[in-house]
Amino acid sequence: MIFSVYMLSIGFSILFLLVIIEMVRKNKLLEKYSLLWIFFGVILLLLSSTPVFIERIAGLMDIKYAPSVLFLFGMVYLIVYCFHITMVFSKQSEKITRLNQELAILKEKLENDKQNKEGGQGG
Amino acid sequence: MIEPKILVIIPAYNEEESIDNVIRKIKYYSNVDIVVVNDGSKDGTAKKALKEGVRVITLPFNLGIGGAMQTGYIFARDNHYDIAIQIDGDGQHDPLYLDKLIEPLKQDRCDMAIGSRYVEETAYRSSVTRRMGMIFFSWLIYALTGWKIKDTTSGFRAVNRKIIEYYAGSYPTDYPEVDVLVRLHKKRFRVMEVPVEMLERQGGSSSITPLKSIYYMVKVSTSLVISSLRSGGMS
Repeated sequence: MIFSVYMLSIGFSILFLLVIIEMVRKNKLLEKYSLLWIFFGVILLLLSSTPVFIERIAGLMDIKYAPSVLFLFGMVYLIVYCFHITMVFSKQSEKITRLNQELAILKEKLENDKQNKEGGQGG
Repeated sequence: MIEPKILVIIPAYNEEESIDNVIRKIKYYSNVDIVVVNDGSKDGTAKKALKEGVRVITLPFNLGIGGAMQTGYIFARDNHYDIAIQIDGDGQHDPLYLDKLIEPLKQDRCDMAIGSRYVEETAYRSSVTRRMGMIFFSWLIYALTGWKIKDTTSGFRAVNRKIIEYYAGSYPTDYPEVDVLVRLHKKRFRVMEVPVEMLERQGGSSSITPLKSIYYMVKVSTSLVISSLRSGGMS
């Protein structure tokens, strides 16, 4: 039973790593955002391919069912990554706001200058 | 003394019913420059404002009152204005009080003057829940800054060059009126209240519905407390 969970986990992490690398290669994922995911994939691969290690951790933390360490790791990592994403997103919102404002001001200035020019020629 | 360059910033989101009247009234009482920040309106706000011969900055999409006002402050900074005044596009703020609001800035008695409904007995009527909210925010602001400000949510405000520059660099996004008080306190700016009468809004509907007001209270309170924890240097 235990073996199958580990197998699944190994298979998943290998596939996951391949997908990430492919996405970066195709420029669909920026390198700087791929790093945390690659890190995640490698750790998951290490954890699931060395059950001794994970059973050791489970023993230390008094976790009765060793593979739950995998789930714990996955969950904590997801929470951290979600937080990271919201921070990236916040920064981007701010930048978009600034772009919006600058663009609007510039557009108005262009329009205004054009009108002044036309008005000047008329008078 | 050289006359300061004064700009009125009108943030407007779908205010086609009232915007022209607001502009006309400002022009009637005072000879100031006016810029309308059209916050991605879906109606004829921009067209109506342009017809009144004022400059209109149209944001490509809606940013909310904070982003719209900041646009106005960036414009004020870049065009070297000494004083900027916010007058809402819905006609609630009476331009009759423009000079009264600017006066303490001209005399350098404060950096920001808030047009306040509650400093003196005025005819302004408001609901019980609204009054309770006002009292709560006043208390919170007092607890966080030591300032006794009665009308913390009033958007009818005049600021000097120093604050224009500060706002152009950093201004809260949504519900900025209360939030900004804590920031100004951190930066050691001087804030003053000036009694004014406010009018019933002429068109559109208030952005704050009863259901939203609870969300508003919680959000603003949280944001205030976090703002007060912020170091003065944070932009």
